[in-house]
Amino acid sequence: MEHSIIFWPVVLWMIAWGVVGSVVTPRVFLRRDMDISNASLAGAFVGAASGPFGLAPLWYLAPKSTRGWVLLSAAGALAILIAAFALADPDNVCVTNGSLVASQVANGLVMGTIYALMAMGLTLIFSILRVVNFAHGEFYMVGGMSVYYVSAVWLPEMPPAAAVLVACGITFVIGGAFERLFLTPMYDGRVERPIEYAVLVTFGLVFFLQYFVQALAGASPVKAQRFFDFPIIRLPSAEDPWLIKTSKANLQLFDTVSVSNPRFTAAVISVLVLLGLLFFLYRTWWGKALRAVSQDRQAAAVAGIDPNKMNMLAFALGGMLAGLSGAVLVQAFSWVPQVGMLPALRSFVIVVLGGLGSLPGAFIGGIIVGMVEAAGTGCIPDPQRAASYIPAYGMLILTLTLLLKPTGLFGRRE
Amino acid sequence: MRRHIPATACGIGLVFLAAFPLVYGASDYDYIMHLWITAFFYAILASSWSLLAGYAGQFSFGHMAFMALGAYTTGLFNNYFYLTSAATGTCFEIPLGSWYFVVLDPIGVSASPYSCLDAARDAWTVDVTITKPSLWFGILFGILVGGLFGWLIGRLVLRLRAAYLALFTLGFSEILRAILSAEIGVTRGQAGLELDPLFPDGVSILGASFDATDKLPTYYVMFALLLACIALMMRLERSRFGLFVRSLREDEDAAAALGVHTVRYKLYTFVVTSMIAAAAGAVQAHYIGIITPNILIILQMALVVAMAVVGGLESIVAAAVGGVVVYFLLEFLRNDFTIGAVSIDMTIWRLVFFGAIVMLTLRFQRNGLLYAFIMWCTRAGVAQETVAKRAAAQQPPGKE
Amino acid sequence: MIDLHVNGVHKHFGGLHALKGVTFRVEGAELIGLIGPNGAGKTTLTNVLDGAIKPSTGTVYLNGARIDHLPPYLVAKAGIGRTFQVTRAFRRMTVLENLYVPALALNPGKSRKHFHAQAMEILEFLTIDHLRNEYGRALSGGQQKLLELGRLLMLDPDIVILDEPFAGVHPRLMEVMYRYIHRVNEAGKAIILISHQMESIFTLCRRLLVLNYGDLIADGDPETVKSDPAVIEAYLGEEEDQSGTGTARLEAPGHA
Repeated sequence: MEHSIIFWPVVLWMIAWGVVGSVVTPRVFLRRDMDISNASLAGAFVGAASGPFGLAPLWYLAPKSTRGWVLLSAAGALAILIAAFALADPDNVCVTNGSLVASQVANGLVMGTIYALMAMGLTLIFSILRVVNFAHGEFYMVGGMSVYYVSAVWLPEMPPAAAVLVACGITFVIGGAFERLFLTPMYDGRVERPIEYAVLVTFGLVFFLQYFVQALAGASPVKAQRFFDFPIIRLPSAEDPWLIKTSKANLQLFDTVSVSNPRFTAAVISVLVLLGLLFFLYRTWWGKALRAVSQDRQAAAVAGIDPNKMNMLAFALGGMLAGLSGAVLVQAFSWVPQVGMLPALRSFVIVVLGGLGSLPGAFIGGIIVGMVEAAGTGCIPDPQRAASYIPAYGMLILTLTLLLKPTGLFGRRE
Repeated sequence: MRRHIPATACGIGLVFLAAFPLVYGASDYDYIMHLWITAFFYAILASSWSLLAGYAGQFSFGHMAFMALGAYTTGLFNNYFYLTSAATGTCFEIPLGSWYFVVLDPIGVSASPYSCLDAARDAWTVDVTITKPSLWFGILFGILVGGLFGWLIGRLVLRLRAAYLALFTLGFSEILRAILSAEIGVTRGQAGLELDPLFPDGVSILGASFDATDKLPTYYVMFALLLACIALMMRLERSRFGLFVRSLREDEDAAAALGVHTVRYKLYTFVVTSMIAAAAGAVQAHYIGIITPNILIILQMALVVAMAVVGGLESIVAAAVGGVVVYFLLEFLRNDFTIGAVSIDMTIWRLVFFGAIVMLTLRFQRNGLLYAFIMWCTRAGVAQETVAKRAAAQQPPGKE
Repeated sequence: MIDLHVNGVHKHFGGLHALKGVTFRVEGAELIGLIGPNGAGKTTLTNVLDGAIKPSTGTVYLNGARIDHLPPYLVAKAGIGRTFQVTRAFRRMTVLENLYVPALALNPGKSRKHFHAQAMEILEFLTIDHLRNEYGRALSGGQQKLLELGRLLMLDPDIVILDEPFAGVHPRLMEVMYRYIHRVNEAGKAIILISHQMESIFTLCRRLLVLNYGDLIADGDPETVKSDPAVIEAYLGEEEDQSGTGTARLEAPGHA
């Protein structure tokens, strides 16, 4: 960085006032006997964005609703950060190259959608079973591996869409079977501390699935073929500033935004699945039953829904969603048995950020994390360091969320 | 008497382990000694994790992070701190009497690092003594840093329960790993930070001298550390501390309503277990001689969790024995074999079986295989006593 | 002389005004019934007294010292002990260990064996001494409630708050609870008894406090309170049925 003397003091200033805001604001609110569930978050953002100039009025006025303050300050803090970065590093590609920024934003959205799909599986499981599935990344890995083996090794003639369906089936069955075999003792009080039991037993599943797949498939990376080749288009046909241009493997819009084929395909499939999932949850009996159980277990049981069946369905479905996101991404990345770790951590981040158990939260969280990662990888000057820090960005978000607003953006209070 | 089986077994085991390096004489001596040292290392981690998770109910997945903090603190201490008898003029230095305490600048990852000390060495014309401070200070320092971070993390997770706590600590561990692998200028990242052996100049015990690569002194150091940690933890467990952390595990509000300072005991648990993990990490780092950020990949944490689960989460000794047993099993199951045309790659399959065993243990014998046995021995007669007393109380009506 | 002074305690939860200026005084070894319909604020008041939540405004003094801003563990040491509506025995600790927790928390520097005799005496008094080495989870629901009372005897607070001690308890164990209440009372301690079982309340208590929607609507001897029109309106009229169902929920005898 050229003028890091500008950047780091600004960041430190923001952090310092953010900490002050997050620590002091709840106390101020508590003294006035107000709801403090948002106070830490509001204080942190207002402090980071405007320092004492924003915190003083916040403490003085102590507004009943802090939502507006939070959103405004979040935007302000982001703007200050970007401005400081641009001033400090005027030659950075993110500052000079507008089309790169546009591409990064597009990629962030595309990847965010796929992340959201996976995170929704996790949050679905949590909303029904109150359990965090630590083996979520392994379902992702199994989904990708299944597609590779079905479409590239066993049945090379099989259309990719069918291979994706097979992957869904496999992960659905694994999820359901695991739930039946290992999670049932949780429901009837046979386990003294069910949540911790579930954490440990899904941790065991990580171990088991990872090495089981490695034993069968080996540790060397595999990669599936692209599902579809784009038709080669150029619109409008001959003029120069074209709007859309595609090659087999890439898609370009307005001469600037560039998205690779596998990611684009994956995102389109994800959106379709998300729509399907919404249809399932809101229009079918099983989906409605699932939502009923997640809202009030006892009332649902009284209404004739068997919560036990719903547990199984939720776990299988959640695992399937992770498997599906693996299945659509196996054409974009190379695949090893350990590939699930990073997406699993990312899903934890997303669901905690969005609020454990909240489907819209998982979607918004997915997009946010996708954007942050795109910005992080594209703009950090030292690429080697940037790559090492990728998991840390998410974990930083997780840590901050748990400290400032443990219920997440859309979480229900437990 | 079945009540005495566990204690007797422990006694026999201790005598065996104390005498083992002296009486064992097979040709794979170094290999077996290496296994024992590493097994002790895992035993310390598994037993301290059982104190944290099994006793206090804090299911932290950041335990290996404290181990790594200990390892890296002593590693950095070992690589960056020197004592010289003359001022270097090029490094950051603090005069200490006639000596100078020298802190090197980051060496980076180049194959032949040239530090400010090398620059000074080239410039000196007189004879200058350069030594390192004793690495035991580094280990001590590592333990303190581990405790400090344990306190900090404990403070931050006070309000978090169950799954949130697990996620937060996992996050802490991952952030630490990212920092260690990214800041290669200081930590040398994946290239690894090299450390001196525990006894760089060899050591002589009772007239027998051992050089730096001999396993025997390290064996006894690690063994002593294991015993010290277990003794400390058992002492804590039997004191009020053990009673209070178990009560807050069962019900924090009820414990507080009975006068237990729950916050203090939670923090206390985090600090103690983190220091123990850091101590194990620091000693092991010097033994192995090189540390990389891979020491805190999740597989390592999973291994420690698995050891504690198989041994028994609610008993420090059972978890330690679980650590040793599981480690040896994993080592001895390495041998590949062939059945007919199918050759089995045991290096992978053993981990598959192992994952299955962990899940099955949790499912069917939640308190661990060993702990169940200990309970069977030590709680022998409780049920009979209950029944007998009840019968006695009911026979003559209105006895009391 | 025990002196608990609750002075103008308000508690808001967001928009809910759970306690509206509750004021009362407990002097000496009183045996007080605290009653009120569901949602009247009884448990909130208990939590305020015990330090689990802080009052929005108002003060609580115990024997002249202010306790409303102390954390629960200090309130316990200052002399207020309570049971919980849902039984909270330490399930994976033996019965004796359950009793040692308050004893050791109260007496730093002493070890378990100092309290063994006292604990055994208490367990015998509560008729669960044969279970001393069993885990808390092995006890039946009623026995777990007795265990909670045992812990309170070890803590030996000046003020004992019992939150629904009789709900779902076998009549034989209920007798033990009556004995417990008399014993504590005769030892000069005050008891605040929260219960839906009017029968017990009227047999045991010489003074009643009635809460309704956060208001303390009556404070006096049972006969006066019974005939107070506000109380009849708010409470007795609608609740008498529920007290019936409370006693009807009998637990299977024996030990699970």
